[in-house]
Amino acid sequence: MDRLISTLIRIVLAVGVSGVMFVVLNYLFSQATKRWRLFNVIVGAFIGLLYFGILDGNRLLGDVGPTLIFWPIIGAVAGGIVFGVLSEIEEPRLRFATAAGSMAAIGIIQGAAWRSDFLPSLDWGTAIAWTLITGVIFGALGLAIRQDFFRAGRWALIGLAIGWMLGAYGGADFGSGNRGESYLAAIIGLALVGVCLGMSKIPDNAGRIKINAGSRKYIFLAPALAFVVLGLLIPLARTIYLSLLTREEDGRFNDLVWNGLENYGFIFTNENSLDFSDWGNFFGSSLVWWGAGLLVLSLVVVLVQWLRSPDGRPRASGGSISPFVIAWFLIAMAVFATLRGTIINNLWWVFFVSIMATVLGLVIAVLADRTRMESVAKSLIFMPMAISFVGASIIWRYMYIARPPNKPQTGVFNSIWVGIGELSTTDSWTGILAIAVLIGVIAVLLLLAGISWRAKAKNMALSSLLGAGLVGYLFYRLIGPGIGGFKTRTILVDGQEVTQTIPDTILFLQNIPFNNLWLMIILIWIQTGFAMVIFSAAIKAVPGEFIEAAKVDGATETQIFWRVIIPQIATTIGVVVTTLIVLVMKVYDIVKVMTNGNFGTQVLASDMWQRAFTESNFGLGSALAVVLFISVLPIMFYNIRRMQKLET
Amino acid sequence: MTTTNSPPPTTPASSSTGGTSKAGDASKEKGVGKIVYNTMRSVPTWVLWILVILWTTPTIGLFVNSFRDRDMQRTSAFWTLFRGNFDGLTLNNYREIFGTEADGGFWDGIINSFAIAIPATVIPIAIAAFAAYAFAWIEFRGREWLFIITVSLLAIPNQVALIPLLQLFSNGAHVTLPGLDKTVTLVPDVGLVGTSNAVWLTHTAFAMPFAIFLLHNYLSSLPKDIFEAARIDGADHFTIFWRLVLPLSVPVLAAFAIFQFLWTYNDYLIAITMLGSAPSEWPATIKIATLSGEFGLKENVLTAGAFVQTVVPLAVFFSLQRYFVRGILAGAVKG
Repeated sequence: MDRLISTLIRIVLAVGVSGVMFVVLNYLFSQATKRWRLFNVIVGAFIGLLYFGILDGNRLLGDVGPTLIFWPIIGAVAGGIVFGVLSEIEEPRLRFATAAGSMAAIGIIQGAAWRSDFLPSLDWGTAIAWTLITGVIFGALGLAIRQDFFRAGRWALIGLAIGWMLGAYGGADFGSGNRGESYLAAIIGLALVGVCLGMSKIPDNAGRIKINAGSRKYIFLAPALAFVVLGLLIPLARTIYLSLLTREEDGRFNDLVWNGLENYGFIFTNENSLDFSDWGNFFGSSLVWWGAGLLVLSLVVVLVQWLRSPDGRPRASGGSISPFVIAWFLIAMAVFATLRGTIINNLWWVFFVSIMATVLGLVIAVLADRTRMESVAKSLIFMPMAISFVGASIIWRYMYIARPPNKPQTGVFNSIWVGIGELSTTDSWTGILAIAVLIGVIAVLLLLAGISWRAKAKNMALSSLLGAGLVGYLFYRLIGPGIGGFKTRTILVDGQEVTQTIPDTILFLQNIPFNNLWLMIILIWIQTGFAMVIFSAAIKAVPGEFIEAAKVDGATETQIFWRVIIPQIATTIGVVVTTLIVLVMKVYDIVKVMTNGNFGTQVLASDMWQRAFTESNFGLGSALAVVLFISVLPIMFYNIRRMQKLET
Repeated sequence: MTTTNSPPPTTPASSSTGGTSKAGDASKEKGVGKIVYNTMRSVPTWVLWILVILWTTPTIGLFVNSFRDRDMQRTSAFWTLFRGNFDGLTLNNYREIFGTEADGGFWDGIINSFAIAIPATVIPIAIAAFAAYAFAWIEFRGREWLFIITVSLLAIPNQVALIPLLQLFSNGAHVTLPGLDKTVTLVPDVGLVGTSNAVWLTHTAFAMPFAIFLLHNYLSSLPKDIFEAARIDGADHFTIFWRLVLPLSVPVLAAFAIFQFLWTYNDYLIAITMLGSAPSEWPATIKIATLSGEFGLKENVLTAGAFVQTVVPLAVFFSLQRYFVRGILAGAVKG
């Protein structure tokens, strides 16, 4: 209970502080037009607080009172006074003198506050070089942005001041100097700022309104951009930098040395990430032969249709395209299953999950469209989206689990598998029943094929025939060599060899390479709902007149789907596929929880985590992260172009 | 379960691979053909519901198993329950998981999850709403480009920022001045690693592009007139934002809130990176992932843990599904 309360307090504090800061900032800048002096005092105090805070944080100032609070407060008071006074002085020369003088006075405070065991001994060469270089850079920047010599001059002054501080403090040898040099170091820098301040004018009413209005974009954007820059952009740059380093041999945890592109070389050459050694087995994969068979089938269909087409030209149709597409899908799967390694696995994930989730999502969206209880069906399919990847992995663990073969199977898949095995080896009435059912199904499919043929629905007839063929193959396996989870073994009983049939399970998570596929199914289970929801909305947004018009022209449902609905939702399909690719590319949790990358299931993201955080090899881990980043770059550019089109 | 009597404009096509019934022709058949045809017409609906059952089975399996003791889980499948096998039903898994006060205390895990998810939801909403408003309704130079750059970061894998952020939270940020042998501390080491603060700060940064994108889409579609009217009345941006925009954008804020809550509550990667060495701060996802690693020992408790972890997002999902869907659609279709 204490934990809960302290947590709640922490949350309220965090939210409250950020909210108050935002409101106060808005209020503060609205004071620019109302109470100019107050506005200046607060701004000055804030700058003073920040400046002395940074100095104190780097342990340059002596310890007085409560550490890390005393000097920043002094700084805030001094800054507030200086800005407050300056807000009232209009006469240019007096203003200049006051500004330079009072800033120098703050310099004296800083010099006096300098930690006595840490007094600087200045390296004049470095200090002056830095001053000049930074001044020139700032001046040039100011000129480029403001395009006004007077303003660029003030930018240059700020640059001089910052350069002095960096060069003087950075080049100095701390601890060997004397108090005089500490005064010099502090006063010169701050006086330069003072000169810059003294050259400014007090803005008139219009100027103050401009300050008030112009500040808002910064106030509104700053928190978000700060998070984006500090949390995404700078880390991204740093990761790219780290990817070029490596740990020193027998070095400490953080001792990283330059390594060039060797991390990348390692990623693309070691056999854990790319392993082509098994490619000779490619033609041993039954997927390839199924694919080849389908290719032949599609060729035959094309030829037949070509011969029979009235105008003597070849044309594509559903009957030839679908076996063609499925064939290449199967062959691609065979390639992924033969070539092994982290990178191949990642590509396999992207390929299989994106395609399956998109297709299934589309199929379900179409099936569910305007049926009864549409919303119930859809929300049940959509539900896995709410479940964590970790939770989903655990849920599926119970689907895939394999118990010892002689025990009852508690996992759904192995239970079905072993059940089919028993069915195909049993002599009891269940086996006969199964055979009868299969014969029935074949009969119905053949009947359907006949009816469709007479009704001139050739695609339907063809697919019914194909279905009958598949079921026929099942039938053959069932009565012939058997199918499913069983194996035979020969044992000696009373000196005689007896052949025995025993159940056999599949170790779904251990059998390389198709264990990858079983992991992918978890993500498909999660993401299909996402695709379905989007497609469902897109299909409902297709104007009804289009479909009506197509019907009037005598289009069939199939034609309406392929020729009207699909072109209308083409962009949506693009969005879904790209979103899925980006998401699948960085899949991590499922692999981590299910196999921890063992049994040939490693993917880039889990490899990255393991290298970086288990083995503390930040260089290689970063390189893997950069590989991930580069592989989503094309999609990033695609998104940018899409957004540019929308903006115009 | 069959389709309606008067065929709606798009009766479901039976498959996406091309082989589909030519409904109009086949319906002229008599007798057997008619029966086969009518059966075929309801096939899409049957396929749909078979898919629904397939999709729901895994979750139901976990739910049933979480109420059965260890022996039953190991020796009989969950669906035997529906055949009347009520042996070994128990609440002990739940008692056990909430009973232990040790490192694996699961109740702590749930609280930790909320300690991460609530600030990681509330704070990005506020921050992103400010920014989205600025991108939509404050004119300034380079606005389009800044917006496109910010939003294009949507696609960046979080992995690219993890190592530097972990270093930032554990060591602070220090810059060594080029050419000089001095290091300046920009951010001191404040010991964020191993606290939920590190996790929600990271989540906030990672959520920014999507949040800004989603809210900007909505805010920029608000009618221009109301902003002009408010400005004529002398309202500044802060007043407009506070009085006008916030109340108007409650639906989209809710959509994003649900999205972000589910995302952060369910997160594993960022939590294990930032909290790996602080088991007392672990959220529920890490707790059940760890239990899952000791599968043989604690599998009965695992079912209960996984179910409790899952129940929270499921409750959010089913009660606020409408907003969730709206968020997904706004994020994907309009973009």
